[in-house]
Amino acid sequence: MKRFMFAAFVAFWSSVLSIWAYAALAAGGGDAAPADAAEAERTVSLEELARHATPEDCWMAIDGVVYDFTDYLPRHPAPPVVMTTWCGREATEAYDTKGYGRPHSPAADALLPAYRVGRLADDP
Amino acid sequence: MASGAIRLATLALVLWPVVPLGVGLRAGLPGDAAAWLGWLGRACGVVGLAWLLLAMVLSIRLPRWDQALGGLLKLWRFHHLLGAGSFLLLMLHPLLLALAAVPGGPAGVLATLTPPVGAWPVWAGWAALVLMMVFLAPSFSFFGPPDYQRWKWLHRLSGAAVVLGLVHTLALSRTLGPASAAWVWGGVTALALVAFVWRLGLSRRFARRRYRISRVELLAERVVELTLEGPPLAYDAGQFVYLAPLDPALAAGRGEEHPYSLVSAPHESALRIAIKDLGDASAALMHVTVGSDVTVEGPYGRFLPRRHDQPALWIGGGIGMTPFVSAARGFAVQSESVDVQLVYCANDPSRAYYLRELEDIAAERPGFVVHAHYFADEGPLSPAFLESRVADFRQRDVYVCGPAPLLALVERLLRHEGVPRRRIVMEEFDLL
Repeated sequence: MKRFMFAAFVAFWSSVLSIWAYAALAAGGGDAAPADAAEAERTVSLEELARHATPEDCWMAIDGVVYDFTDYLPRHPAPPVVMTTWCGREATEAYDTKGYGRPHSPAADALLPAYRVGRLADDP
Repeated sequence: MASGAIRLATLALVLWPVVPLGVGLRAGLPGDAAAWLGWLGRACGVVGLAWLLLAMVLSIRLPRWDQALGGLLKLWRFHHLLGAGSFLLLMLHPLLLALAAVPGGPAGVLATLTPPVGAWPVWAGWAALVLMMVFLAPSFSFFGPPDYQRWKWLHRLSGAAVVLGLVHTLALSRTLGPASAAWVWGGVTALALVAFVWRLGLSRRFARRRYRISRVELLAERVVELTLEGPPLAYDAGQFVYLAPLDPALAAGRGEEHPYSLVSAPHESALRIAIKDLGDASAALMHVTVGSDVTVEGPYGRFLPRRHDQPALWIGGGIGMTPFVSAARGFAVQSESVDVQLVYCANDPSRAYYLRELEDIAAERPGFVVHAHYFADEGPLSPAFLESRVADFRQRDVYVCGPAPLLALVERLLRHEGVPRRRIVMEEFDLL
């Protein structure tokens, strides 16, 4: 048991360090891509946003940025209805509070760019 | 309590955190591999923290209460297993969550493992895990055999680790939902807090009792028997107490509590405790001043039955003879018949320091027979030796107490000879 625990302890730190080093190196190399994408970014109006209001086609606006979460929905840890309610809508407050005053984690923040569609159009 | 009921209660205790997790799952299964990893990662966190809290509850050590749960040594073993399980799950927790973030790209993985400084709930979780490694390192001998007092001191960090773990889970609170999280964590935390406060504060005041050392008898080289005068203590033969010497002249271990076996019989007015020099504190006790005070907390443990009319085989070695000495000394006032064969394992006659007294008791008491086994003459205890002295040993309930190698040897021997596991009761004084 003692040996096994020590092996697990060593395995834990080597795994954490390996994963961390890999992610840090990979993230560092990918800086150029988002900058290019930003230039060609499209604008999405509230009307257009509202047309993507089903679990099969789910867009949301958070902090002025529009995301297509259709592919992400099945991965969300909370029950689906928590998130699908907000499809097609401006969802900043829901994202910031999760409905009971707790913000999403930095890990969730880091996931957002992968689903970015464009900027939300300013009010007409 | 019946052993079946204990087993069921144990299972319920260990598995209860899974119930709210299962309820959470009913609302919808994770959609893909990454989502499953994420769910598993969170589940590891929830169950791991719950087990850590349970381990803390088990450490309460209330005198006598341990009896219903099979004795303190069994509880310690369970505490140890829960701690180990919790540690493994809590190490898996960040690893699985990092892997679950892989589809979101390396930035997601990085943000999971090492978020910005402002994300204090995540850092609280990391701090809890690192603290856990610090206070468990001596428990699992990560860096060599631990020093008993340092181990005890470091183990108190578990309080801080639990607080940080709770802060972490309550601030993030994803898996259980806010309402059930409050109930689950609130309830078990309250219990753990009671255990912690009792162990570190109240027990000193309410459970420790003061005795005076009236006699110190040197039984053999590095073994003494202390006689303590003080308030009466109700206990069974084979139980042990935590003793803390207060003698200002002690070279080490003053005020430190250590577990020692009672060798007096329950009917005696004075307590007698046998101590072997196994470390700094017990070595100092070899020269403790007669007339100085000690505190005693107990009794603990459940090893021998109260009646001895069922055919039994007792096998003791070294300082592990103590529970049998206590029981044999009790034969003097017992009217029931006894059927006990005792095998006294020692290296040589000079180390069989209780043999003479036990033989005297056996001479007076029909049904109680003592056999000496000397390692120096006969090598390790063998089936042939048992066969020649206790021909019906396979049909007896067997109670074994002594150093770990003796226990391992006897267990192997008895199992090989077809003695069922349920008829073998082992007691080992290895609390780490």
